[in-house]
Amino acid sequence: MPDDSGYQNPDCLNQQIEVLALFKAAKILPRIFFWNNKIYKIKKVTYNWQERLGKETISYFSVSTGIDLYQISFNNTTYVWKINKII
Amino acid sequence: MILHVDMDAFFASIEQAINPRLKGKPLIVGSRNSRMHTVVCAASYEAKRAGIDSGMSSAEAFKICPKLEFVAAEQSKYIWTSRQIFKLLKEFGFELLYASIDEFQMDIRDTTQPGLLAEEIREKIFKEFNITASVGIAKNWLLAKLGSKLNKPNGVSILTEANLESVLARFPAAKICGVGKNTAELLGGLGVNTCLDLYQKSAQFLEQHLGKYGLNLYLSMHSTDSFDSLQEPENPKSISHSYTLPRAISNPQFIKAWIRTLSEMVSQRLRQDNWESYTVHLWLNGPEIGNFGAQKAFQQPVNDGLEVYQRCLKIMAKLGAKMPLVRAIGVTCSKLSKSSYAQPLFKEQAKRGELLKAVDRINSRFGDNSIYPAVIALAR
Repeated sequence: MPDDSGYQNPDCLNQQIEVLALFKAAKILPRIFFWNNKIYKIKKVTYNWQERLGKETISYFSVSTGIDLYQISFNNTTYVWKINKII
Repeated sequence: MILHVDMDAFFASIEQAINPRLKGKPLIVGSRNSRMHTVVCAASYEAKRAGIDSGMSSAEAFKICPKLEFVAAEQSKYIWTSRQIFKLLKEFGFELLYASIDEFQMDIRDTTQPGLLAEEIREKIFKEFNITASVGIAKNWLLAKLGSKLNKPNGVSILTEANLESVLARFPAAKICGVGKNTAELLGGLGVNTCLDLYQKSAQFLEQHLGKYGLNLYLSMHSTDSFDSLQEPENPKSISHSYTLPRAISNPQFIKAWIRTLSEMVSQRLRQDNWESYTVHLWLNGPEIGNFGAQKAFQQPVNDGLEVYQRCLKIMAKLGAKMPLVRAIGVTCSKLSKSSYAQPLFKEQAKRGELLKAVDRINSRFGDNSIYPAVIALAR
């Protein structure tokens, strides 16, 4: 969990999640994600970036639900979405 | 004319864009291992105003500003953003160079309204990435780079023939890229205090007091040949990598894993540019040993991480059988020569050479560290 000092917890969650996303104009726009039987509506994607891991490309998104901030990612090879951490 | 784009507090700004709660707060970016035992990789402008800057130990930074925010660095997002900014700038259609991960230079010689172009660039970067950039424009790359620093953050400086001297007179000579603390002191002793003093000195004067570097400085400051005045990189004298551990450690396996990691990093760069090294230098720092550094020259040059590592172990044997507490490690390869392409005498050597080529090809195709020696896993 994030603490008051703003230090990001390096212990990643890396749990598989389900995501409703829009693929538009060569961009991925996540809208809603389901995690631990709960629906999280994404109000804003604050940032996104990519990283190549071996032959796989991972697209990362920092997303705000208006209350909390999460980092989620999409594996462009396996099509798996994960929640990486709570920022 | 050159337009120099310098991103403002690049890493820290990206972290503030990711997490809006950090906006407007003093923030440092450091190693993910330990917030109190790392160095400041980047500081936000709010932290800079409190007296914190890159290179400072995080413990010192927290002492200056106890309410400091800390974010663990993640290289991938900075590298990705840098590449995207390069792509964005490329669309303006000018010759473009990477000056560093957060600096870019464009040759805009035919532009009639450079000020408008600078504003357009800054707006596009902000719209796309929610981070700001400062821009400097001048007749050559060195003055453009200087210009980008004069109105930071989020500003533009245009150095024209009309305002050049008055602007240069306002800033100390140390503002010029390449003029470090020692050079600035030396110049100060010669009565050269401002950028203008430096600009007005003759080539002979600068060469006489600063040697070849002084002459290059003169040429870079006075050039109007745009990118032509960029100095050709000289052959490196050495290649090195170092790492500061989160705390002093005496576990021999862990320390050796880090020495192997650094040996592989150095060797990969040697092979990339077709170098081999005759001399290997190992440097260790720790509370018991202080700064321990020793080098060893060998008859056969190397560019294989395993061999560099084995040579480091030979150097380390000087410390005795018991592993001391180690806080920082550095591996350097010097006395470089171009690889000879000579056919190896022994079958095993030829096989090893083929293996290294295959490893380099895999890492080049699938990304760094797609494949690495298993022992390194301990240090990752």
